[in-house]
Amino acid sequence: MTAKKFKPGEVVDFVVVGSGAAGGVVARELSQAGFSVLVFEQGPRLGAADFEHDEFKYFFLSGITVSPAISPQTFRKTPDSVATQTAGAQPALYARLVGGSSNHYTANFWRFHEIDFNERSVLGAIPGTAFADWPITYQELEPYYTKVEWEVGVSGLAYASPFDPPRTKAYPMPPLPVKSSGVLLERGARKLGLHPFPAPMAIASQPFRGRPSCVHCGFCMGFGCEAQAKSSSLYTMIPEAEATGMCEVRSGSYVYHVDTSPQGRTTGVHYFDAAKRSQFQPARAVVLSANGAETSRLLLNSTSNRFPHGLANSSGMVGKHLMFNQGASVHAVFEHELNEYKSVQVTRILHDFYLSDPKRGFYGGGGIDARMNPQPAIWAMSQGGDLPRWGADYKARLEAFPRSMVSSGHSTSLPLESNSVSIDPKLKDAWGIPAIRVTYKDHPDDLAFARFLQDRSYEIMQAAGAQKVWRDSVEENTAGVHLLGTCRMGNDPKSSVVDKYHRTHDVPNLFICDGSSFVTSGRGQPTMTIQALAFRAADHIGQFARANAI
Amino acid sequence: MSSSNEKDDMSRRSFLASGTGLFTSMWVAAQWPAIAAAAHHADEAASSPTPVGFSFFSPADAADVEAICAQIVPSGATPGAREAHAIYFMDRTLATYFSGAAPEYSKGLGDFQAKFRAAHPQPGSFAAADSDNQIAFLKTADRTPFFETTRMLTILGMFTSPKYSGNYQGAGWKLMGFVDQHAFVPPFGYYDREYTGFVPYGAESSS
Repeated sequence: MTAKKFKPGEVVDFVVVGSGAAGGVVARELSQAGFSVLVFEQGPRLGAADFEHDEFKYFFLSGITVSPAISPQTFRKTPDSVATQTAGAQPALYARLVGGSSNHYTANFWRFHEIDFNERSVLGAIPGTAFADWPITYQELEPYYTKVEWEVGVSGLAYASPFDPPRTKAYPMPPLPVKSSGVLLERGARKLGLHPFPAPMAIASQPFRGRPSCVHCGFCMGFGCEAQAKSSSLYTMIPEAEATGMCEVRSGSYVYHVDTSPQGRTTGVHYFDAAKRSQFQPARAVVLSANGAETSRLLLNSTSNRFPHGLANSSGMVGKHLMFNQGASVHAVFEHELNEYKSVQVTRILHDFYLSDPKRGFYGGGGIDARMNPQPAIWAMSQGGDLPRWGADYKARLEAFPRSMVSSGHSTSLPLESNSVSIDPKLKDAWGIPAIRVTYKDHPDDLAFARFLQDRSYEIMQAAGAQKVWRDSVEENTAGVHLLGTCRMGNDPKSSVVDKYHRTHDVPNLFICDGSSFVTSGRGQPTMTIQALAFRAADHIGQFARANAI
Repeated sequence: MSSSNEKDDMSRRSFLASGTGLFTSMWVAAQWPAIAAAAHHADEAASSPTPVGFSFFSPADAADVEAICAQIVPSGATPGAREAHAIYFMDRTLATYFSGAAPEYSKGLGDFQAKFRAAHPQPGSFAAADSDNQIAFLKTADRTPFFETTRMLTILGMFTSPKYSGNYQGAGWKLMGFVDQHAFVPPFGYYDREYTGFVPYGAESSS
């Protein structure tokens, strides 16, 4: 069946804003349930043949990421300072194309554990933070994690980690072939009594649902997959949504305002088409899956007489509690070649430090992985400790590239009301729409735990027999790719933006499902949970629609 | 230099020097200044693989900058920045993608040259000095924003795709032992070759 093309002005059941990890799932589920769905994507539609092995383009020229030239953002550390455009980065970095950031993610697909949902009850309050339980449990989400693994496509080995949460089904594909980095992490960690295991990855280790398996080209993180083996929405959920004949994906179409009636219901969205003409698309309901930064910006820019402080923002919580995750790496050089530039980013991880331990004196939990070096230029730029930066010694270090690897910690960020996505008072984007302003300063515990985990990585690499190990510096985040927590889920409309079914407390036919729904940050690999939440949300939204309860 | 410029330089310097955690070093740090602003207006010619003279540098400036590059990654048994044509990458990108950063870079180069001349009236140009003098002088200048930018551009010119005029015939990748290939098969390296399989916990027979 060919993809649907809605007529101008035709009312659809659902507008979904964003075609990424969450938007793809929501579109596929609602269209398969028989609803008409129009997905808006601000970026272009690209395919496997458009992606390239081009480090310069993807990392230095905003190849597929949000570009400061047309969608600038500002940054400040604290609310009492003036935000500026930073020299180094877009503070809220995401991929801007059909499939969103699921195109360029690394594809680490860890489930959250039970503790991630009720950690506040277990540990107690953390003063000065908005640390809270989720209104749902791991058990409620478990069937949807399984759905992600089987329908989006995750490779892994069930029951391999003694710390894994319960599951109802094994993975549909075996783990990807282990790399030398994984073997070494496993060797070092087992010597120390730890429990490394094959990394669950959203990359096909064998042909899966019409897609080929990974060809081990080594260009995952930051790149679109040229083999269609990465389980990006572009290759999985979006085509399946279109195949229903009920779903149109309208790329190059930038939603800038969610419209509401005087009665307080959404009536549709205003967007700029590819020619920058403003258009209106009517809808019976709207789902925002634009990511944890853009969803907040859209809500805050969607002011009206009835909603003067932005849509769905009666709590004042829209944009608050931004969480990037923390983490830190060590580099290690070994005697023989690892050739980490081949194949996927990660093949072994461990969760021995997943739980926060009050005896450490600070909050935090996380995981450690073995991962490939960054691409050649970024690896060559990395520096720190006593590393030579130029000259003959520097050249010798470059020649150690094939014998090098990285071990990274991935860890928690506490929810702080002062960390936020808000609207910059002056800066506008290329369409004249007020720009994103990010305010962010890590909680001291987040930095302390990142250092703790980095020390464990250091020990593991030493135990693995590394000739040399050195630490990256641990610094406060000034940018992030995990955009979490900004429209948090909760039962209390005074302190949260959406309810446990992702319906906004304020607007009955407006739903939000993406990283912004998170209450806590998890341990640094959020996309699996974003997609599980999206499956669950779509399930409930479909039930509400069928029951005429939207 | 105004204080706000100083602040910008400092933040760039700390950004370049940070090499920090996952997000900064691998994702974000890469999005260097003004880059994307220039990218949108980039000249298609920038991707032509064959350099035709210099469009940004004068011949004398090109000689000085190439001499700095050649100290950052020296020639020897394996190719250095000179053999990788890093200078052509720098010339092309400062004229196109990085044109927004070009005026500041030119100023930095001018300052560098003036300081070198003051310290070494003979031979007067960095390019013409002998290697020991070049190294000694660079040690006094290797924390300046100009040097950091030159280092970064040298690296980009050596290790990114040859289609941007640097990394001539893959010289940088050869130096680093990186193979640009669209498919590989396991085993990938020395240590996975002899891996015998994942042993489940609770099933270990020993150790």
